[in-house]
Amino acid sequence: MRLSGRKLIATIFVLAVLASLLILVLLPTFYLISFTITRWNEVYTDVFANPLIGDENWHQILRYLSFSLRLSLIVVVIDLAFGIPLAYFLARKQFWGKSLLEDVVTLSLVIPTSGFGVATLLTWTGVSGLGALIGRGVIEASYVVPIVNVPFLMLFVHVALTFPYIVRTLQGKLEDLEPVFEQASRTLGASALTTFRKIIFPLSIPALFSGGVLAFARSLGETGATMIVASIHTTAPMAIVRWVSEFKLATASFLGLLLIIAATVAILIVDILLQRGGRIKAPRFSLMPKIRGKLLKVEKAASGKPRHIKDIVGLGAIMLIVILPIFVVVASVGAYWSVDPDTGRPQGSVLYQLFGPPNYFATLMDSTLISVITAAISTYIAACVAIPSVYFIKRYRVGRIFRYILRIPLIVPSSALGLSVLLLWGPSGFNLVSPGIWLIILTHVVFSVPVVMEPTIAAYEGSGIPTYEGVARTLGASPYDAIETVSLPMLKRGILAGVILSFTRSLGETGATFLVMGSDVTVPPLVVNMAESLATSAALFSSAYLIALSLVLLLLFRMVTRR
Amino acid sequence: MPNVKLVNVRKTFAKGRVVAVDQVNLHVHDKEYFALVGPSGCGKTTTLRMIAGLVEPDEGQIFIGDRLVSELPPEDRDIGYVFQQYALFPNMDVWDNVTYGPTVKAWEDRKRERIGREMLQMVRLYERADAVPRELSGGMMQRVALSRALAAGAELLLLDEPLGALDAKIRTELRYEIRKLVKDLDLTAIHVTHDQSEAMAVSDRIAVMKKGRILQVGTPHELYMKPQGIFVANFIGESNFLEGRIVRKEGKAGVIVRLRGDFDVKSRSNGRLKAGAKVVLAIRPEAFELVQGKEKLENSLVGVIEKVRFEGTDIRYEIRLVNDEKVIVVRPSLGGEWLEEDNNVTIGFSPEKSHMFPYPEKGLRAELELE
Ligand SMILES: Nc1ncnc2c1ncn2[C@@H]1O[C@H](COP(=O)(O)OP(=O)(O)O)[C@@H](O)[C@H]1O
Ligand SMILES: [Mg+2]
Repeated sequence: MRLSGRKLIATIFVLAVLASLLILVLLPTFYLISFTITRWNEVYTDVFANPLIGDENWHQILRYLSFSLRLSLIVVVIDLAFGIPLAYFLARKQFWGKSLLEDVVTLSLVIPTSGFGVATLLTWTGVSGLGALIGRGVIEASYVVPIVNVPFLMLFVHVALTFPYIVRTLQGKLEDLEPVFEQASRTLGASALTTFRKIIFPLSIPALFSGGVLAFARSLGETGATMIVASIHTTAPMAIVRWVSEFKLATASFLGLLLIIAATVAILIVDILLQRGGRIKAPRFSLMPKIRGKLLKVEKAASGKPRHIKDIVGLGAIMLIVILPIFVVVASVGAYWSVDPDTGRPQGSVLYQLFGPPNYFATLMDSTLISVITAAISTYIAACVAIPSVYFIKRYRVGRIFRYILRIPLIVPSSALGLSVLLLWGPSGFNLVSPGIWLIILTHVVFSVPVVMEPTIAAYEGSGIPTYEGVARTLGASPYDAIETVSLPMLKRGILAGVILSFTRSLGETGATFLVMGSDVTVPPLVVNMAESLATSAALFSSAYLIALSLVLLLLFRMVTRR
Repeated sequence: MPNVKLVNVRKTFAKGRVVAVDQVNLHVHDKEYFALVGPSGCGKTTTLRMIAGLVEPDEGQIFIGDRLVSELPPEDRDIGYVFQQYALFPNMDVWDNVTYGPTVKAWEDRKRERIGREMLQMVRLYERADAVPRELSGGMMQRVALSRALAAGAELLLLDEPLGALDAKIRTELRYEIRKLVKDLDLTAIHVTHDQSEAMAVSDRIAVMKKGRILQVGTPHELYMKPQGIFVANFIGESNFLEGRIVRKEGKAGVIVRLRGDFDVKSRSNGRLKAGAKVVLAIRPEAFELVQGKEKLENSLVGVIEKVRFEGTDIRYEIRLVNDEKVIVVRPSLGGEWLEEDNNVTIGFSPEKSHMFPYPEKGLRAELELE
């Protein structure tokens, strides 16, 4: 009797978890697809056969989409180019300041992007950044890098925000990869670089692919920083934000759908490649003997003395793209404190804009409150859904499918996600929630669930919990006792890490929030608004403030994840 | 001419807190099969890795064939190294693994093909050239690892617990195979193992290590017959240890030692120890005579059999002497007869078969500790 009662409770519990997963996380992710299908006529008319402009919208969509795809691809290539040596460096060397460097890499992941956008913009185009050296901005905001044909600042910002995906996945993989393979290769006569090419690189291709997909998706969906440094350029996610604000919902949702498809296809391709890579041997291609010999010689020579050069290049790049902007933004708050150093007018100063007639300080505090409330509630809801889901995913076979699907919210461009939530719950959908705090929370929950889940699953897999639970059971604990006394304590760090990451991500989210916030403005969109209304000093201050907040959270994260 | 010489080599880890290898001096001759044996954690692997260049010594010099190699990276040291877990490259098949050395050394294709084929035929795995490592059994992986190390053309072979991950039966088979290969190919080999019987079985000479230091170097026979310390006496083979005090000299090369319970026995003197000194006698279990009842034997001691174990080739007795010390006696089981438990027995040993050592400063137990 008692047992079957328990079974019943367990079943209800599993069903409740599944239902909340479906309704809160998966439904919004896929709603956009059904929306575009069910309202296809509307979408078709708007995009392809607009009575006023014909298929001009379609042409715009194509333009923005191809621009975004090109940008993301180039970003991933650059990420790889300097992420690989950096990851190798971090995985294999012990040196003073290593944990600090790792923190910098993590910082890039948690930093609120709009604040970081302001920092980068200022560094390269303002007179108080690098420009201080030459008396004017180093480059124009609209400068386009020749050959690859993408805007310099966007490239820069995107690389800064996405390279950690490569570094962290590859570093993890390399740390797991026994150094014994490298050592074996060296004792057999291969130089360090030859070893890298023939052993380490092939073995870490899966990690490179999965890191690459995450970086690609993040770049494809990045909105906050992109809007700030965009100047005259428009990416696909920016176009969604703009069209929604112009109530061109049909066109926006069609573009959103295409973005979701692009990200999903990227994941699928990589998964298929990786699975095949496991089973089918790579074709054996051999270089001409002469070239092969030359290559080995070059590698041998390059493996010699000046090997620190590539380490220094990696470090230098990090300094330039991550640390310098942060430093500049903080320094600039000082420079702009009482007057605008460009014009000499006090109206441009931080003091005036914050506490003078514009009174941005009060707005900033209101926004902070909204940000913290939404981040806290959405993280709480996410944790409540995610933790039992981990059990479900690890215990049942179908769980694997769920885990797979739950990666999608992580790579779907956030403005597409925001649009989807807006269409689903908002006035034009079920009309349950209007734009504002609660809609923001519903949006953030979608990506917060997988964000909490990933480190928890990692902790679960890394700690051999099934074994220990088994041990607890043989010692007489009931399944529930075993979870409470053995598993949850072992998962604690993973859960905490996920919670902090989710909170940070929610706090810094821009793209989706823009679409669902109504009049409840959180801090990151506020920064964008300030920058767009040319309240430079207020934007500066708010950026520094956001970055400081994320540093505090990073510190917390570090305390939780390190012993 | 790959003889190997280590001069005052020292290596510490964790900022000097762990001394892995301390003051090691070693000379391995050309074409010698040399074993480095000791309990785990004593620094064998670290020593081998320093020779290979995978670990840099803190102090001291390492020579391979009269060449000071301290500054050379591993790929320039001309060595073959067999790792305990084989370390076959998982992204390559057997053939690519074995020809890896010739490939990265840019040998011409014909030579590479020939060597690869020869090496694989030598370990009887040419038919499995297309297999990937995870399809092979442990013994096969071991043989691939061996032929891969040999294919690179080195004359110095370093083996780190090469048989450690194998089943007991295959382990004993493969060790003779490795020795034969090394001897047939005229190589120098340094074989690291924690298994003294393996070291005894394969090597020309053995160095016994403990806590980063080398205690004794010698042929298997020398180590067994003339251990220079209590630890070696116990680690190579097995020994009973009886504590006592020297009473007086006896004859030219003997002393009388008084054991606990005032038993006097005669032992070989080691020259330096004077009357009154506290000593330990080491006697191997197989060195005892054993008879039922009270008999008069050389150095006879009486006691009761507490336990008997039949162990195949041997029968192992645990005997409690009347002075309450416990002694292990091992007798060959050839006759098929053995004494029962609770029998009163007399055991004896000849003075030549006992080794006398000064009583260790930190006590017997501490001296015998493995770590
Ligand atoms: N990379 C390392 N870092 C720290 N300590 C190490 C390292 N390698 C070995 N040690 C320590 O050095 C000692 C000797 O290790 P090792 O040479 O592996 O012993 P053996 O091979 O004889 O078992 C051990 O105490 C071990 O913990
Ligand atoms: Mg070892």
